[in-house]
Amino acid sequence: MPATTADRAQPDTTAYLICAAAWLVPGVGHIWLGRRQKGIIFLVSLTLMFVFGLWLEGALFPFQLAEPLVALGALADLGVGLPYIIARAVGAGAGRVVAITYEYGNTFLIVAGLLNMLVVLDAFDIAKGRK
Amino acid sequence: MVIFALFVSVVFATLMRDEPREQLTFAGRLFAGFIGAGVVIGWLLYPLPL
Repeated sequence: MPATTADRAQPDTTAYLICAAAWLVPGVGHIWLGRRQKGIIFLVSLTLMFVFGLWLEGALFPFQLAEPLVALGALADLGVGLPYIIARAVGAGAGRVVAITYEYGNTFLIVAGLLNMLVVLDAFDIAKGRK
Repeated sequence: MVIFALFVSVVFATLMRDEPREQLTFAGRLFAGFIGAGVVIGWLLYPLPL
């Protein structure tokens, strides 16, 4: 693999900035660190996964602390970053409980967010020179 | 299930392997594992009442 920005450890501030960027736009942290191929794969696959979830009529859960499982679902949804914010802004992700694909859609949305959290942690490790 | 398995396999393989060839092999094995496990678990649940 060619030498990249990631080959030397980044200062803490830069590492956290990379994490924030990686959370906001899936894959951008890796692209920033010179792992372009990985970054593009994350960007395309996680965004597509989120879009599939919306297309399958899944719901973006609200932050209801009274219902812990719903709140955890909301946290997982939020993990995907900008696509979540855009979907919320345009009113997508209301979910249709009676749709046969509803639970599949929820699974796609939640897993897209959780996978992006893993991608953010991986970007952090690379930025700190651990990988 | 197939589309879900495809996405998850691709992301995991990209996270866990560095070389494109290794990523492809690992993604293929993960994908086959997901589909195989899905079919086996599906058949195991088949006799259970709803």
